[in-house]
Amino acid sequence: MELIKVIQGIISILVILVLAPMFAGLINKLKAIFTGRIGAPVLQPYYDLKRLYKKETINAKSSSFISVISPAINLVSVVIAAAMLPIGFARPIISFEGDIILFAYVLGLARFFQILAAMDIGSSFEGMGAAREATFAVFAEPIFFFTIGSIAFISGLTSIYDIYHSIRLDNVSYLVFIIVCSISVFFLAITECSRMPVDDPNTHLELTMIHEVMILDNSGIDLFLYQYSSYIKLFIYSILETSFFYPFGVRSYSVGVIIFVVVIATLSIALAISETITSRFKMKNIPQYLLFATAIGILNLLIYTFTK
Amino acid sequence: MQNVLSILFCLSLFYLAVTSRVKAYVTVLRFQGILLTVLLVFPFIHHFSIFALILPATLFIVKVMVIPRYINKIILDLDIKRMIEPTIQQFTFLLLVIFSMVIIFVASNILSKSTNIETIPFASGFSAIVVGIFVIIFRKKLIVHVTGFLVLENGIFLFGTAVASELPMMIELGTLLDIFVVVFLMGIAINKISSTLSGFDVTALGRLKD
Repeated sequence: MELIKVIQGIISILVILVLAPMFAGLINKLKAIFTGRIGAPVLQPYYDLKRLYKKETINAKSSSFISVISPAINLVSVVIAAAMLPIGFARPIISFEGDIILFAYVLGLARFFQILAAMDIGSSFEGMGAAREATFAVFAEPIFFFTIGSIAFISGLTSIYDIYHSIRLDNVSYLVFIIVCSISVFFLAITECSRMPVDDPNTHLELTMIHEVMILDNSGIDLFLYQYSSYIKLFIYSILETSFFYPFGVRSYSVGVIIFVVVIATLSIALAISETITSRFKMKNIPQYLLFATAIGILNLLIYTFTK
Repeated sequence: MQNVLSILFCLSLFYLAVTSRVKAYVTVLRFQGILLTVLLVFPFIHHFSIFALILPATLFIVKVMVIPRYINKIILDLDIKRMIEPTIQQFTFLLLVIFSMVIIFVASNILSKSTNIETIPFASGFSAIVVGIFVIIFRKKLIVHVTGFLVLENGIFLFGTAVASELPMMIELGTLLDIFVVVFLMGIAINKISSTLSGFDVTALGRLKD
């Protein structure tokens, strides 16, 4: 019995590692369809990664060892974070009391090294991107802690797996609480993964960029690692979102997997629609957008605690 | 159900704090009107009577249909620009709203222990009153002041439903009539001001002398 659980955990992480680029490709394809184009094939991110893998890596002369280790650290931290997320009802490989904090800070470590590497190269353009990333990270972090943290606070559990298993829809106000939390996490996913209203993932050479600016000088295997970890990051936040919807199903692994697939598909459509109909915000409006998501989380927590 | 509607009401207040278009303010007013109507209709599902539906119906007509349309008409007639022109940054405004809301929620939770009020609608109504006042203080346009006043009114309405479970209907209808008349008076006043002064800012009004 234990063996099956371990195997399920391993399958979860493998699924994340293998399917992450396809999810990004799927969103791009849907976006193309919504805007009336044919678009790149769904498997395009894999081709891109393969191409990058073959290319030579060149580092700037002014860069130090930080630029060399940063891409690898980035990918490793993101994979560790991915190993903490449940797919279906399987227990993830890494799961212990308090892993919610580790999850947040492992992703924080990835971001920290990416910012360091961007400043390490010595280009002012990338320094600007790093500054922006750091600024917006300050506003994005509270969203996570106010949504996932408030569910943890209410259930009294501190492991992501246990927290999601504690979600039960027995009364209406808890249902609304969960729905509003999932909206908050959607905002968070958009911000962390540099999607449309905050950052434009398609443009590489505009001054308004955040994430793409920081990896502008990387090439070859370094860029491969950065791109791959950003695909995994997008998938991680999507899984975080799907986990809210498990209570609607019967509590078995197979049903969990089906719900996972359905929710991921719905989410990709939702992301594609939101990216099609919105335009990117002005830089000065982004903090207030993020604070809005935090405000939803705070309000949610207030209302739920005071109804009891 | 009341709590769900209150959450939506508070969300609309947050939206009010971040949006920067006059049209969005009118949409929020409409949305709040619908919420209040649903809030009033909901208790009558179990014991239905035609007489009890007079107040929600009037509320719906006044707050969802007539007043927003009238404000839209003023905006169109006077060719008012679509930005709201805040006096402080939206970010600061949102922070203010969040802080005041947290204080209000905690305070009303303490209040609800000693008195017989329902915490969530009470706190939401109270927050709407405060946000309405903030909108009036921190915005330049007169038409936005009118919407701020209406948000304040919505807050008082919600406040009333939280404090008294049974509303004296005649009083509520009277209040609705008052609001209706006040909005029309404001509309006429704004029309008059616009024919004398070119701008619709309160800053221009501050320089008035006799």
